[in-house]
Amino acid sequence: MLRPVLAIRYDAAPVPVRSDLPEAHTHAWQRLAAPGTWWTGAERVAIAAEARAAARCPLCRERKAVLSPGAAAGRHASVSALSDAAVEAIHRIASDPGRLSKRWFETLASQGLGDAAYVELVGVVATLVSVDAFCRAIGVAPHPLPEPQPGAPSRTRPADVGDHGAWVAIRPGRVGNVMRALSLVPAEVRNLLELLEAHYFGPDRITDLGETGRALDRAQMELLAGRVSALRECFY
Amino acid sequence: MDLGALTGGAERGAASGVPQGGQLVAFAEATVGDDDAALARTREALIAALGPAALVDAAAVTSNFERMVRIADATGIPLDAPLAALSIDVRRDLGIDAYAAAAQTPAPSRVARVLARWAGPFVPRLLRLASKASRSSAR
Repeated sequence: MLRPVLAIRYDAAPVPVRSDLPEAHTHAWQRLAAPGTWWTGAERVAIAAEARAAARCPLCRERKAVLSPGAAAGRHASVSALSDAAVEAIHRIASDPGRLSKRWFETLASQGLGDAAYVELVGVVATLVSVDAFCRAIGVAPHPLPEPQPGAPSRTRPADVGDHGAWVAIRPGRVGNVMRALSLVPAEVRNLLELLEAHYFGPDRITDLGETGRALDRAQMELLAGRVSALRECFY
Repeated sequence: MDLGALTGGAERGAASGVPQGGQLVAFAEATVGDDDAALARTREALIAALGPAALVDAAAVTSNFERMVRIADATGIPLDAPLAALSIDVRRDLGIDAYAAAAQTPAPSRVARVLARWAGPFVPRLLRLASKASRSSAR
């Protein structure tokens, strides 16, 4: 029997939070706890826990400070039973995303982290980091991680994925590459789209440069987006 | 907007032409940094300048892009070809080509570069048309 994931609320926030955000975050937490495509619910919650642990990891801190991440050796301060390859992936994506490399990704693959499992891991880490970042930005504590739900992963792989220039196989399509980056695991794309709609704009409104319907205008939103992206050294 | 504000910090943000640009850039920088006291100060400054709903929107955008940058960088997606061609000058001027992930995007072909130079001045107008079409179809 599924145990319900408690609704996320921002009643204790110092400012009122519009309702679409706690709604989207609650759905994200429900999906986090549920069995995924390649990971169980328990593993998905463990991935989220590791993503949080990366902020306190001495190896991650050391790597961020050196010119080349490979110059700092050692083991991560892991909090789960996930494989070393998974822990490395989680900690690096969470703490130092701007310096990931294809060679690094291929090393993970050689250590047994499958491409689709990796993509789902990326989705979980990105979700956790995003919701935690929102909490910190408005001045509330991060939400407790949800209790994992029982069940087996579905293990379904889209038939139409291929090499379109990324490290992972993605689906073809006319939408931008960032919208297809997680398409090896369609459930993660659905998660991404719901959070995108609440935090920013859905794909159908991204080219709409008019009224935002928000307290910030489009230029203000893009200034924030661009500055964060530049600070994270995200080329895309 | 003065695009230098994206890579230049709060002072450039204030001079960017974007309303309350300085406060917004300072807030963005604080959300990415580790200094909780600085974040609290920029949060209060943002509320004072733009109101509580703007803080929520700002937090939503900054946290959104903390997600999107990780998705882009962890999957190694290249920049979409038309954008790669149209953004050559901007990327060079902002120093973005020095980012590690720039290696993922192949250099645009000579033909693409020529077409981009020709089409570039029309892009703002095309975006406004696309925006108008988007709003019309939403009604």
